[in-house]
Amino acid sequence: MPRSSSTATVRTGGAIGLLRQVAAHSEIALVVSLVVVIAVFSLASEYFLTVRNMTNVLGQASILLLIAAGVAVTLICGEVDISVGSIVAAVAIPLIAIMNVTESMTLGILGALALGLTIGAVNGYLVAYMRINALIVTLGTLFIVRGAVYLYTGKRAQADTAYLESFFALGNERLFGVLPYPALVAGVIVAALIWVMRHLRFGRRVYAVGGSAEVASLAGFDVRRIKFYCFLISATMATLGGILLASRLGAAVHTSGIGYEFQAVAAVVLGGVSLAGGIGSIFGVVLGVLILAFVANGLGMINAPTEWQQVITGLVIIAAVALDSLKKGRR
Amino acid sequence: MVEDLATPEAPQTGDTDAARPTLRVQGLTKRFPGVLALDDVSLEVRGGEVLALLGENGAGKSTLIKLLAGVYRPDGGTIETGGVERHFASPADGLAAGIKVVFQEIALIEEFTVAENIFLEDHLAGRFGRVAWDEIRRRAAEIFDRAGFDIDPEVKVKDLSISQQQLVEISRALAHEAKIVIMDEPTSSLTPAEVRHLFGVIERLKAMGIAIIYVSHKLEEIFEIADTCVVLRDGKWVSTRPTAEHDHASLIKDMVGREITDLFPRSDRPLGDTVVEVRGLSTATGLSDIDFDVRAGEVVGFFGLMGAGRTELAKAIVGYDPILSGEIRIAGTQLTPHDTRRGKALGIGLLSEDRKGEGLMLEASVTRNMTLAALDKFTARGFVDAAAERAQAQSFVDRFRIKLARLDQPIGTLSGGNQQKALLSRWLMFGLRTIVLDEPTRGIDVGAKAEIFALIDELAADGFAVILMTSEMPELLGLSDRIFVLSGGRITGSFDTETATQEAILDAAIK
Repeated sequence: MPRSSSTATVRTGGAIGLLRQVAAHSEIALVVSLVVVIAVFSLASEYFLTVRNMTNVLGQASILLLIAAGVAVTLICGEVDISVGSIVAAVAIPLIAIMNVTESMTLGILGALALGLTIGAVNGYLVAYMRINALIVTLGTLFIVRGAVYLYTGKRAQADTAYLESFFALGNERLFGVLPYPALVAGVIVAALIWVMRHLRFGRRVYAVGGSAEVASLAGFDVRRIKFYCFLISATMATLGGILLASRLGAAVHTSGIGYEFQAVAAVVLGGVSLAGGIGSIFGVVLGVLILAFVANGLGMINAPTEWQQVITGLVIIAAVALDSLKKGRR
Repeated sequence: MVEDLATPEAPQTGDTDAARPTLRVQGLTKRFPGVLALDDVSLEVRGGEVLALLGENGAGKSTLIKLLAGVYRPDGGTIETGGVERHFASPADGLAAGIKVVFQEIALIEEFTVAENIFLEDHLAGRFGRVAWDEIRRRAAEIFDRAGFDIDPEVKVKDLSISQQQLVEISRALAHEAKIVIMDEPTSSLTPAEVRHLFGVIERLKAMGIAIIYVSHKLEEIFEIADTCVVLRDGKWVSTRPTAEHDHASLIKDMVGREITDLFPRSDRPLGDTVVEVRGLSTATGLSDIDFDVRAGEVVGFFGLMGAGRTELAKAIVGYDPILSGEIRIAGTQLTPHDTRRGKALGIGLLSEDRKGEGLMLEASVTRNMTLAALDKFTARGFVDAAAERAQAQSFVDRFRIKLARLDQPIGTLSGGNQQKALLSRWLMFGLRTIVLDEPTRGIDVGAKAEIFALIDELAADGFAVILMTSEMPELLGLSDRIFVLSGGRITGSFDTETATQEAILDAAIK
């Protein structure tokens, strides 16, 4: 990239600047894919490209978006967090229980965050400070937390009996009757995370740690602490996803979030984040989540059996990664 | 801080007694379990001085550098910079105290831009830790302008050559106003032209009043660039003398503790049949119209400057790259291009300069590494005969005097020279008769070099054909029976032991 144009990018910003940034991060292919997916299904079904359906998809995708963005942060720092699905189910328990007693959504959310952060801290401590493999640690907490949820709830959903209007609205109503609140919440939080990862020193250090922990350590970064924080971020994002899901379901459901970790990893990989760490962007993850969400929705629209969604998700992520390695191989 | 760079201080003269040393190290000691890696070492270096740090592998150079960088903490002794005693808890502290180490393994984030890497430590972050992108770019460009480096601050580091990456590392030193720059084997992956450029950069750093500690195995470089030589051996200080008081023999003697009188042995090498015939070879990688023969029992050396095509030729003749025209015959049979398996079956193989990248499994045992290519020979009905495998490995360990504790220790724990020998064993075990060596002694210390040289001589005497690609003149002249000089992908000169002189070879190399 010529020096002058890129400097201009930063100064002018705006649409052209944004485009350049997108191209620079090789996310253009994802944008094109997303447009193609939408175009194909628009032709296949007249109900697909409607404001109602589009906003529905955004609402449905919002929970996965939050979770996937969090998982992406752990992958960028060179680790992985697959305990997120269990966190989604676990945090709903204190959320609902506290609201049922106190009738305060704020206290409920604080309770959920406290539990989520605790699980994240355990993950982060074991991975960063005890140097246990992240896949093993979070696989372990995935089972432990899910088992604890089953034990605590006796495998029964814990219903929301406080019926707080604001809590119901959070998962089920729309801003101006158009944009689902979950999409708004997820959009704002993920936008903030994009900014953190791009423009805050912390975010750049996460990339540096994932790119080379040794170089990061030579530069004087506290690699362990940075990794620890990444697990807190991942757990926090899963907690927010869990809160939105509980609001939509009106209950803490013990089986909720099962399999979310793999959907998240699929979206993250599709979004261009490298399993090796240090490469990828949260914006790419947003595109990855949207592509998978629109494919799922579109298949439903053309009345394809829902099983096809899984088959196609699998094909899409393998194809995406295969294309990427082909591109690298050619260089 | 950048303004200071605009007016470099007048160069301090290293020989003025009044000038305070920029760095003073006294009685530095570092113990590892079971080893005294550095034992009571002292040295001083002043602004504008280049101090060469020499010693064989294991002499304590790396330990000393890591102590100065703040990677390790000393068990004894002191480090002073600018007259103040320093205690480093991390490399960031070392940098803050004005010491920047340019490690052999470049410490940059490949996916980041050059500019971001230069300010990696703090990102010039402002309020709330917001990265000052514009400022980073502007200052990086300023530093490049001032230092005269032709690098675009906006490109990713992974798209730069090693020599450019070194300049980025040096720029990090300038960005942090480092007063001491330590370079660890900086020329080991550079072409001759890049080495010249680096020496120019070092002169500029000297003029800025920066003290330089230069670690290298290449004595020619030391004589050219260093003002003072400090030699370590087995973790202990051996000597500190002005370079002018040294010659090759005295330096080597200090390093190895004995005189290496016969660095390049030359046994009787009976000539055998022609094993390699190359006719009119041209490739897409830039070689054109190459003709030469190699006979068994011969060492044929190829010399060339940057981009001359040494590595390309090495790869082409073992069948790695497709060829445009011409032919290669190995032992009389035509070699199909782009098929190294066929090449190996015919008995020719390449030992590349990148030992780690191409071939060594660092975590696996010495035996595993040695027997990898010849595994079929110890395999019956799908089962590997472990006893035969070990016996074969042991025979090569004995033959090549490979220094190791146990056959099953990871090969990554061996010295570079011994790794090189193990790799060579792998291919001899497989049955190669013609060995192409690309920079066989890169990153290997003097003592081990002598052993590799002896090994090459032994191979030729045993009837192997050796094709040697090297950029080191003494090695070329000392080992080769015949010499070809490459320039721009063509052979521009050929010499035998009678006609080969440094001047004539260089003359052909710059044609």
